[in-house]
Amino acid sequence: MGSNLPNLPTNLPSNLTVGGLSDRSFLRVSGLSKRYVRGGLWRKRVPVAAVISADFEILRGQTLALVGESGSGKSTVARCVARVERPDAGQILIHGRDIARLSSHELLPFRSGIQMVFQDPVTSMNPRFSALEVIEESMLMDRHASANAEKLRDRQNHGDQENRRNRARALMVEVGLSPDWMHRSILDFSGGQRQRLALARALALQPQLLVLDEALTGLDVSTQAQIANLLLDLQTAHRLTYLLISHDLALVARLADAIGVMAGGRMVEVGLTQQIISNPCHSATEKILASAKASAAKLSVVTGASS
Amino acid sequence: MDGRTDHLMTFRDLAVTYNVDERVPIRAVDGVSLEVRPQEVVGILGESGCGKSTLASAVLRLLAPKAKCEGGVLFRGRDLLNLSKAELRAIRGREIALIAQDPAQSLNPVITAGSLIGEVLRAHLALDAGQRRERVMELLGEVGFGRPEEIYSAYPHQLSGGQRQRIAIAQAVACRPALLIADEPTSKLDVSLQAEIVELLSRIRQQHGTAILIISHDPALFAGFADRIAVMYAGRIVEVGSCFEILGRPLHPYTQALMRIATAGMSAGARASERLPTIAGESPDPGCLPGGCRFEPRCSERMEVCSLRYPQAFSPEPTRPVNCFKYGE
Repeated sequence: MGSNLPNLPTNLPSNLTVGGLSDRSFLRVSGLSKRYVRGGLWRKRVPVAAVISADFEILRGQTLALVGESGSGKSTVARCVARVERPDAGQILIHGRDIARLSSHELLPFRSGIQMVFQDPVTSMNPRFSALEVIEESMLMDRHASANAEKLRDRQNHGDQENRRNRARALMVEVGLSPDWMHRSILDFSGGQRQRLALARALALQPQLLVLDEALTGLDVSTQAQIANLLLDLQTAHRLTYLLISHDLALVARLADAIGVMAGGRMVEVGLTQQIISNPCHSATEKILASAKASAAKLSVVTGASS
Repeated sequence: MDGRTDHLMTFRDLAVTYNVDERVPIRAVDGVSLEVRPQEVVGILGESGCGKSTLASAVLRLLAPKAKCEGGVLFRGRDLLNLSKAELRAIRGREIALIAQDPAQSLNPVITAGSLIGEVLRAHLALDAGQRRERVMELLGEVGFGRPEEIYSAYPHQLSGGQRQRIAIAQAVACRPALLIADEPTSKLDVSLQAEIVELLSRIRQQHGTAILIISHDPALFAGFADRIAVMYAGRIVEVGSCFEILGRPLHPYTQALMRIATAGMSAGARASERLPTIAGESPDPGCLPGGCRFEPRCSERMEVCSLRYPQAFSPEPTRPVNCFKYGE
């Protein structure tokens, strides 16, 4: 990671081996750009550049956090990496294979390897589903994708269903949910429990990369810490690679090996967590750091003064 | 106990019960007593589901029709729970105003920012259109917009989250209410914007002497802003004290654990990939609460008595009621 400091050149050749690290590199993004078109109907259509030539790299089993103000383009990067969105330009190399331009059909074999977890997981789940159905669904979808011919026979197969159920049970235990709640509606789960369920669903396909788009935002302080610890445990257990999107630098500092700072669609700074925090080079980083520190300082004035 | 003149608003043993379907009635707020003095900033700290938003909504009687309130909410000596709809309308927005959590949802999307604020003025004050416009411009300036004319004719969707929250604040302070209720006013905003919103609220309090009841799950939000903090857990207040006391020297084990988490963030020794301190377990299901102390199943200092009955308020220090058996029996 240290080799691409402070900024990668934007015209980085795809086969470049930086300091011999690229064999450990799990995900390498270069020149990633995405524009959306605003307006339409009655108004003039104006293209808006959401991401402009972003470059970064994540090593296998590590965490890169993307931080930045809302509207800085970090979610667009996440959506492009998960290929929910098709980038306009640039490369997304996973294990050396570029997935940026693949068609949805060509993407199928990659889908299970990259899973996404959203801020409010319930909006990404069918509200009529039980916990089991949520976890099971991804396994079924994967079957559809991989073995089209076999699928119809297997779906009726009782043994297969039993397998899925056992696997769902094991996953629930792993993310800290009681398997007794398997048949509960997802609406009966609390915010933290829903996020655990979203992680179980993502893990069901044995992914290598989790894209966590504000997955810790909006949770209570104590729940947030619990989910953060769970992410650390899962990362160790499955050697997962995380792309974590957040605007909370204080939290990110505890989870990420490296941090990428985004501002106005550009990746303005990438570096190891300690370097970014102790020696920010860009004004956007300084601003985010300052607000995180100000909040911590205010608290320490109060907590320090009377203890 | 009564509507004493030194209290602006008093919750008197307030309980709110939701009767959903045929299920067990859910007591979201259970016997809360708390007072807000004029010009005071009172923080309510608690995690989601602890009843803090229900408490805030009960003040202006904005609860769902199936919610039943018991006890009292006294405002300047009058019980808000017994007022007629017309009497309530005269108070809402005029004497007590609410800043909702998510301005994207609380602002009418088809009305411009200027009219949204003007609407409040029209409801309560006798101003002509010209005066109203002038007043709205003043308010927009007051909440920090450099060029009010541009914002005046903008629709909510054309504004950023922070700008929308400023519009919501301008609406709330339009009639110079005596009390502002802010329900998680910053939880949907970026960290940098959060500080700006708190600063704005703090300025409003200083300039106009507005009392503020602010609700949050984040202790850091209260630091340097709240005068007093009440900590809520599972529908009840477990501890009340000054901001310095609660954040700096918490007495209830729940508050103590919460503060350990809050201060762990970017502390000097924090390293990547190190586990964070947490509180084990989850807050109890309001439909099936523990028989004794509600924090007992998660408490690291639980004793035998804790599971038997709910601890009354003990006062280890004269001004600090704490509902925990650590401080007496």
